[in-house]
Amino acid sequence: MPPPLSLLRPHDVSSGSLAVALYALLHHFPRTFPPPPPASPSGHSKASLMDPLEMQDDSKKSNKPKYSKFTQQELPACKPLLTPAIVISTFLLVGILFVPIGLASLSASQEIVELVHRYDTNCVPLADKVGFIQDTKTDKSCTRTLTVPKHMKNPIQIYYQIGDFYQNHRRYVKSRSDKQLRYKDAAHLTKDCEPEVYGADGAPIVPCGLVAWSLFNDTYTISVNKKAIEVNKKDIAWQSDKNKKFGSDVYPRNFQNGNLIGGAKLNESIPLSEQEDLIVWMRTAALPTFRKLYGRIETDIMENDQLTVVIQNNYNTYSFGGSKALVLSTTSWIGGKNNFIGVAYLTVGGFCLFLALFFVVLYMIKPRTLGDPSFLSWNRCTLDYPN
Amino acid sequence: MASERPLLVATTPGASTPDDAPSPHPPAASLLPPAQSEPPLRADRLAFSVEVPDPFRPPYRRGDGPAADPSASSQQREREGGDDESRGVIVGEPSPEFAGNAIRTAKYSLLTFLPRNLFEQFRRLSYVYFLAITVLNQLPQVAVFGRGASVLPLAFVLFVTAVKDAYEDFRRHRSDRQENNRLASVLALGTAGEFQPKRWKHIRVGDVVRVASNETLPADMVLLATSDPTGVAHVQTVNLDGETNLKTRYAKQETQVRFSQNAGVGGILHCERPNRNIYGFQANLEIDGKRVSLGPSNIVLRGCELKNTTWAIGVVVYAGKETKVMLNSSGAPSKRSRLETQLNRETVILSFMLIGMCTTASVLAGIWLLNHRRELEFTQFFREKDYTTGKNYNYYGVGMQIFITFLMAVIVYQVIIPISLYISMELVRLGQAYFMGADKDLYDESSRSKFQCRALNINEDLGQIRYVFSDKTGTLTENKMVFQCASIRGVDYSSGKDTGGYSVVVGDHLWTPKMAVKADPQLVKLLRDSGSNEEPKLVLEFFLALAACNTIVPLVLDTRDSKQKLIDYQGESPDEQALAYAAASYGIVLVERTSGYIVIDVLGDRQRFDILGLHEFDSDRKRMSVIVGCPDKTVKLYVKGADSSIFGITNNSSELDIVRATEAHLHKYSSLGLRTLVVGMRELSRSEFEEWQLAYENASTAVLGRVNLLRSVAANIERNVHILGATGIEDKLQDGVPEAIESLRQADIKVWILTGDKQETAISIGYSCKLLTNEMTQIVINNNSKESCQRSLVEALATTKKLRAASSIGTQGPLLASETSTVTLALIVDGNSLVYILETELQDELFKLATECSVVLCCRVAPLQKAGIVALIKNRTDDMTLAIGDGANDVSMIQMADVGIGISGQEGRQAVMASDFSMGQFRFLVPLLLVHGHWNYQRMAYMILYNFYKNATFVLVLFWYVLYTAFTLTTAITEWSSLLYTVLYTSLPTIVVGILDKDLNKATLLAYPKLYGSGQRDDKYNVNLFVLNMLEALWQSLAVFYLPYFVYRLSTIDMSSLGDLWALAPVIVVNMQLAMDIIRWNWIIHAFVWGTIAATTVCLFVIDSIWVLPGYGAIFHIMGTGLFWFLLLIIVVTAMVPHFVFKAFTEHFRPSDIQIAREMEKFANVNQVNLSEIPMRGLS
Repeated sequence: MPPPLSLLRPHDVSSGSLAVALYALLHHFPRTFPPPPPASPSGHSKASLMDPLEMQDDSKKSNKPKYSKFTQQELPACKPLLTPAIVISTFLLVGILFVPIGLASLSASQEIVELVHRYDTNCVPLADKVGFIQDTKTDKSCTRTLTVPKHMKNPIQIYYQIGDFYQNHRRYVKSRSDKQLRYKDAAHLTKDCEPEVYGADGAPIVPCGLVAWSLFNDTYTISVNKKAIEVNKKDIAWQSDKNKKFGSDVYPRNFQNGNLIGGAKLNESIPLSEQEDLIVWMRTAALPTFRKLYGRIETDIMENDQLTVVIQNNYNTYSFGGSKALVLSTTSWIGGKNNFIGVAYLTVGGFCLFLALFFVVLYMIKPRTLGDPSFLSWNRCTLDYPN
Repeated sequence: MASERPLLVATTPGASTPDDAPSPHPPAASLLPPAQSEPPLRADRLAFSVEVPDPFRPPYRRGDGPAADPSASSQQREREGGDDESRGVIVGEPSPEFAGNAIRTAKYSLLTFLPRNLFEQFRRLSYVYFLAITVLNQLPQVAVFGRGASVLPLAFVLFVTAVKDAYEDFRRHRSDRQENNRLASVLALGTAGEFQPKRWKHIRVGDVVRVASNETLPADMVLLATSDPTGVAHVQTVNLDGETNLKTRYAKQETQVRFSQNAGVGGILHCERPNRNIYGFQANLEIDGKRVSLGPSNIVLRGCELKNTTWAIGVVVYAGKETKVMLNSSGAPSKRSRLETQLNRETVILSFMLIGMCTTASVLAGIWLLNHRRELEFTQFFREKDYTTGKNYNYYGVGMQIFITFLMAVIVYQVIIPISLYISMELVRLGQAYFMGADKDLYDESSRSKFQCRALNINEDLGQIRYVFSDKTGTLTENKMVFQCASIRGVDYSSGKDTGGYSVVVGDHLWTPKMAVKADPQLVKLLRDSGSNEEPKLVLEFFLALAACNTIVPLVLDTRDSKQKLIDYQGESPDEQALAYAAASYGIVLVERTSGYIVIDVLGDRQRFDILGLHEFDSDRKRMSVIVGCPDKTVKLYVKGADSSIFGITNNSSELDIVRATEAHLHKYSSLGLRTLVVGMRELSRSEFEEWQLAYENASTAVLGRVNLLRSVAANIERNVHILGATGIEDKLQDGVPEAIESLRQADIKVWILTGDKQETAISIGYSCKLLTNEMTQIVINNNSKESCQRSLVEALATTKKLRAASSIGTQGPLLASETSTVTLALIVDGNSLVYILETELQDELFKLATECSVVLCCRVAPLQKAGIVALIKNRTDDMTLAIGDGANDVSMIQMADVGIGISGQEGRQAVMASDFSMGQFRFLVPLLLVHGHWNYQRMAYMILYNFYKNATFVLVLFWYVLYTAFTLTTAITEWSSLLYTVLYTSLPTIVVGILDKDLNKATLLAYPKLYGSGQRDDKYNVNLFVLNMLEALWQSLAVFYLPYFVYRLSTIDMSSLGDLWALAPVIVVNMQLAMDIIRWNWIIHAFVWGTIAATTVCLFVIDSIWVLPGYGAIFHIMGTGLFWFLLLIIVVTAMVPHFVFKAFTEHFRPSDIQIAREMEKFANVNQVNLSEIPMRGLS
């Protein structure tokens, strides 16, 4: 006989849910019939009428729960307690671990040489910045000279840093078609790309969407001590993106030929997987002020060298009041120059060492025998509380 | 006093006649007794032990203003709707104007199923919330998650529940159909004696129904005639009130005669309107121009079975849903656990938090839009317009944007109200229920019954109980009275040995009493030798008295062996049964009873004793007596009763030494916890007998004051009694009841006993289960009118105050405040008084008094009064109540209490059906409450708080990010991770911990019942803890968000990579928090906690391996940097430090009892010396 799906009491219905039904199925609740008709057939016949399991009861050998450590909830278990020794050694351990890490990070960060030069204000006329930047005819090149404060070992990363550009804005991040980027045949899959979907001829834009459309288009030409040096723009994007995300047979089409130019144009003869600037750009930044890799210098730059950068100041951050900066930085395991992590480690580590000391003092001032029953609340009032 | 008490006879004189009920036949004034001649009367012997005011009498009599009757107001309440119309039933004429006999317990029909079921499901607020979110997500402007995906979970849950409900209802339909289609013999219309089968559902009020032996009664019927010439019928009411013994019901002689003469039917019956009182019935029958009054002994109720009576004929007075049993089976009220109710409060707080966050986000978004409104057109990341069409793209102006942002925020932040918590809770309860059922300590070998969770939503309430209301018979006791010892003529015979029992040879059959009693060999020998000696003769008389002086009906049952028959003694008093069995074991076997005589097998010699008269037991006389015509033509009076009552009527002078010796034995017996009775005998002279007979006949036919007359007749004859001896009967307590009650008491759980028993019995049980002790001061409320009740309550309260004051002066200093309650008070209230107290303004007084007392015993209470008492506590305090019982009479109380427990014992299954949990023994209450209840409570409380905390942490991380996205509700965390966070990343460990973690060992919890207090005090779930958890969530979300924020502030970090960190870090943090709070790490918990973190990582890998998502490859990329790992480490440590410090500090400097007990467990070896010395200190 199949186990009858048992019946719960009527009030279970309202609270009913999957779990209740499950339980009922699992346990097929012997004799769980709704109580209402109590005035029903005589004793035994009634029970058997209502519940077939009742009859089985007698024939069943035993319904005694089987003993196992699991069912009796007696599985071997470890019961850690926060004893003073554990508390103090935990704080000590954290402190001892964290302080060196902090120092190491801090020194790594200190060794990084970083040159940040904001140029958006200097490379435009004071009046009508937006007009200037929107005018396609004017020459927007702008030469800046920087002095390198410290010896910079290669490779030196070149970043552009944009401020107050919400690459994480909801309508911006959504406006892209990843399928289109990968497959040649998927050019029509543009439903997420609004408002940058179709070109002037009505054909879909490849790559469509606001993210691609707003591609950064300032360029930097760098010379050290008047000598031009090469900026390596290869391999600035993630290898995984180049391999899988951007198709090697997908070529830009209709790109940047609408009424409003958002940024850089793309060479229609190069497949997307080779358009590394686009790939870098399309990995949208997490925060409104962000850096993106522009290229690399693979020679060292000495202390006090004169760096001359010719900037093509094309990108319009003026209409929303964003900033632009050029960043040159050496690399280390810690990433960019950032003292914060080191300071944080030192702070937390130091604080833990302090806490270790604090608890040592506390435990010495107010010791307590662990597991002393006289501390139980109902015993406490009859004994002197040890102070 | 005596005049106030209701007197007790089987039939009620005309006091109950409805003289002003609109009846088609105006009563013949001459037949009516004066209206208020006597208080309403009850038949105590018939188990109508509850004083129920006459519902038939209107509160005000026409013309004579407010009635003097004090119970008038409660009478009015008793009546349904206050309408004092009676119903007139013409016997033999089915009347269509009253409800038919069909019953319906099913909830839905085919048509109403869908709407009603959906309606019921959506009464759960969480489902509505779920639905609202789902609907919101369908709006294209607002959609955050995919459309189909957001509908699926809700649809699935709704569907499964609907299927389950449909199946249940189908089962109910089927059982209804079975019940309604059963057949009964109904008198065919227009015939005189022809009965035809009729389906139950077609039976109507007024039908005359014939029921054969062992058949179930289809409706409430007034008996008209039975197979017994005297009109006696026996019924078993196990389905109704849980009592297994037979009850005697009578057909009135007037109708009995008519039917035996086959004179057909006729007459008009007037009865009260349907009500739930199964112990009360008032009606009168007009037949042959006479008016016969009918009482509760004349009605048999639906659900009872006819026993030991070949047939009975009755007229249906209430049918179907108006029968008493259906009126009493009010649907089980839906119970919600206390935690779940409290959780609603926190949910409201969280809703405000949600609204606050949504408002903040949307207002800030509005401000941002306003500030940038001129730039939006050319801003690359916004671009208001679609330049190919020239229209605004997805932009509706600032106001509308604020609104849309608000709705989106609701969707994004919805998890702060943890809907999945409800599902987790049910899964946890499921697991807890499994472990409770699997606990071998809750398994009853004798009845082979496992512990069962029948309601799956109140497990954790078991950990917060403050009041236990217990039934007595079958719950505390085994409901088996066993004769233990006797003192006969001053000699104690208490060294009983197991004998094989005694059997009677009848023809070629061997009749054996069902139960053998240990017999004292010396006594047996004495009986066998009975010759002419005086002494053995009196011993024989003693046993004859035991066999004769009762109302036991012997039933002869067949056994498998055709030669063997069993004699089963049926009677209303288990004491009498025990005595009859005892007599049988000594060879004096009661074999047959008819209305006129009994047959006793006296040591193999069958003798007939005529029962000439019977003075029923009443609680004033505290004794009963029979006048027996013996085979040797002598007439004897046998009397048995309470010692005080019998010693008062002995002829003291001649038997002083015997009385002394008996008294000494009685004292010994009762100190052993035995129930004692004294048996006496007196031989009546012919003249005495004749004098008595005349008086007796006069009295029993008297119309006026019959009770008083009978009592004075009894008093006249019951005197100068020779003491035969005394008996000691053990009302066997279940195993471990006194210990269980002691444990519960130590756990600060108040145990109240509510019993239908007599006051004396209740008190004696109170003593034997150690509820009452000799040091207690007893307050007895035993009154018969509202005024006297009020007086006693006020007096009792005053006394309590005095005693409290006296005792606090007696002890020194306020320090020992808890010790001042050395004066423990016990309150004993009886059902009569409760009639006047419950549901009146006296309730408050009773409540005050009862809470002052450490023990409360309520005796002679009716089922609904039991519920009333539970309600008394439940409605006035926040304390959790638990009711435990085994019989149908406990159903109402079980349903009323916060937690109802059914004992699956011998008596029916009604209590179990109505209960939330069922088990085999009372003592299981201790492990159930102290161990499982405690565990369940602390686990569930922790789980709820933890769920609030973990979801809040996550939502706050999302919220902080929104501040850096121009308030546009972008989530760096992928939407998949957002959905999976509650489902997979964090839910499983809490469920497993909720099922498996134990703060303390079973042994510790049982050894220190006071540890139970943490549940009673709401230690583990309260607003403070909630706030603390929210603060932790705040701190941890700040750590999780801002540490990476400051590190990656000016870097090339992309949204997906940082999002992965922000998804992984909170998962690790909240799981670490859980890990820190787990008390007992077994391999399952290890597997789930660490496994979850691993699973989360795997999920992130998988999500970032889907190339179509923008985050393709991000996790691999970021995990390849050292910074990521250093960040993760510092995030976890920073987030956990406050919790760790807080924990270390409180555990050491402000340890809870549970904490100390944990340490005791761990360092048991070290502190063994202390353990053995101090633990029970202060527990008295």
